[in-house]
Amino acid sequence: MCIVKAGKKSQFDLPVLNEDELVEQFVRGSGPGGQATNKTSNCVVLKHIPTGITVKCHQTRSLDTNRKRAREIMREKVDIACKGEKSDILVKKKESVLKKQEKRRNANKNLEKKRRFKEELAAESKLGNNTIQND
Amino acid sequence: MFDSNMWRRSLNAGCPCVFRLTGIWGSRAARQCSAPAFPASRITALQALELWKRIFEEKGVSEPRHSSQYIVAHLLGSKTIEGLEPGRLLEFLTPEETERMWKLCTIRLSRMPVQYVLEEWDFRDVTLKMKPPVFIPRPETEELVELVLGDLRMKSGNGDDPCTCLEVGCGSGAISLSLLTSLPQLTAIALDQSLHAVDLTRQNALQLGLQDRLQTYHIDVMKDAETVLSVCSHVSVLVSNPPYLFSEDLASLEPEILRFEDHSALDGGKDGLEVIRQILTLAPKILSNHGRVYLEVDPRHPPLIEQWVEANVEGLRYVETQHDISGRPRFCILQTDKSRDHKLDLD
Repeated sequence: MCIVKAGKKSQFDLPVLNEDELVEQFVRGSGPGGQATNKTSNCVVLKHIPTGITVKCHQTRSLDTNRKRAREIMREKVDIACKGEKSDILVKKKESVLKKQEKRRNANKNLEKKRRFKEELAAESKLGNNTIQND
Repeated sequence: MFDSNMWRRSLNAGCPCVFRLTGIWGSRAARQCSAPAFPASRITALQALELWKRIFEEKGVSEPRHSSQYIVAHLLGSKTIEGLEPGRLLEFLTPEETERMWKLCTIRLSRMPVQYVLEEWDFRDVTLKMKPPVFIPRPETEELVELVLGDLRMKSGNGDDPCTCLEVGCGSGAISLSLLTSLPQLTAIALDQSLHAVDLTRQNALQLGLQDRLQTYHIDVMKDAETVLSVCSHVSVLVSNPPYLFSEDLASLEPEILRFEDHSALDGGKDGLEVIRQILTLAPKILSNHGRVYLEVDPRHPPLIEQWVEANVEGLRYVETQHDISGRPRFCILQTDKSRDHKLDLD
């Protein structure tokens, strides 16, 4: 069962994650921590209990930043899991793919136009004394 | 994986780590590091990573895999391995990269912390220059900053005047610079009894373009209380990650800390509370009314601090204890309350 709550958004309307539904794992050891320890391992593994989705994040050397990013990634994954195709993330992705395709088609059209124009110019200059100058 | 043909030549005379080590720790650490031979033929980043991971394991260097990974990533221009392009690790290292890998990993063999080997580290969203013996910021302290931010954001949301915060024992400047980065309206004052720390904080401030919003002073809060009071008054926040270890616990610290970090950034005296007590004594004189103190402490400290303040510090009340992500009581929040100043009461 996937309950999606409205809340503070990122650029999309993503569900707010309930911390009680998340289990976080990071290697900090069983020692005293704080000043007494200097551990550099700060990979975060985050699990969303209701969906079972697990996110791993070790993008930066800051534990705090990795924790925040893991949650951002989790929000996106939970959104996709709950909304499927209707998820804003997938919708935006599809839109940008279509935009790129459109752009490519237009670019090819323009190239084609230019090519034909050049051919016509070449053909005309062969026929007669043309004084058309190229810029 | 590697046959003996690869070990045709060894690193030239003199351990490269000698010129990197400072002070009393230099010669002892230099004797302990022995450089493995430089490879004769090309190796990939992944092969170098695996090789040095094994060397660190064999030599008993802590966090062998992470040490190797961070060094390789740094070499290839990334913060972490995960930040590299797929397949990047399978590419051959250039001769320069290989030499640099060997140089950095050899230094790590001396148990120098990775942060000092790379001469930089991240703290929340800033990258700071690191230099021994200045104390390396710990992950718990990132949470301390979050606590301060939470409260300061509420304050500025009320349209109050821009705030000033004071940091006692700034080290590399992590706390102050991180706060300044997150709050454009904030100005900060940072103190440290170590000239190395003051210098490094200034360098980091310059690097981050924050030098105009940060004043740094070389002051010992234990010896120069009057000077502290003369440079700060009416600050909204006093934040500190003061030395809080118990003196007797220092001897059992891992070599990375014991040999390379400034002991005066760690040693809080017999009960770990020497510097903390001094900070709390000065707090009511430095903070504006309802100003707050945020401290990172040893997990045994919070109830002791609460009792001690109640009995000994006029005008300061204990607000709450917050826990770190490991679930340990780690942060103490106190607030000035000038109305509770009993000295004003008539007998």
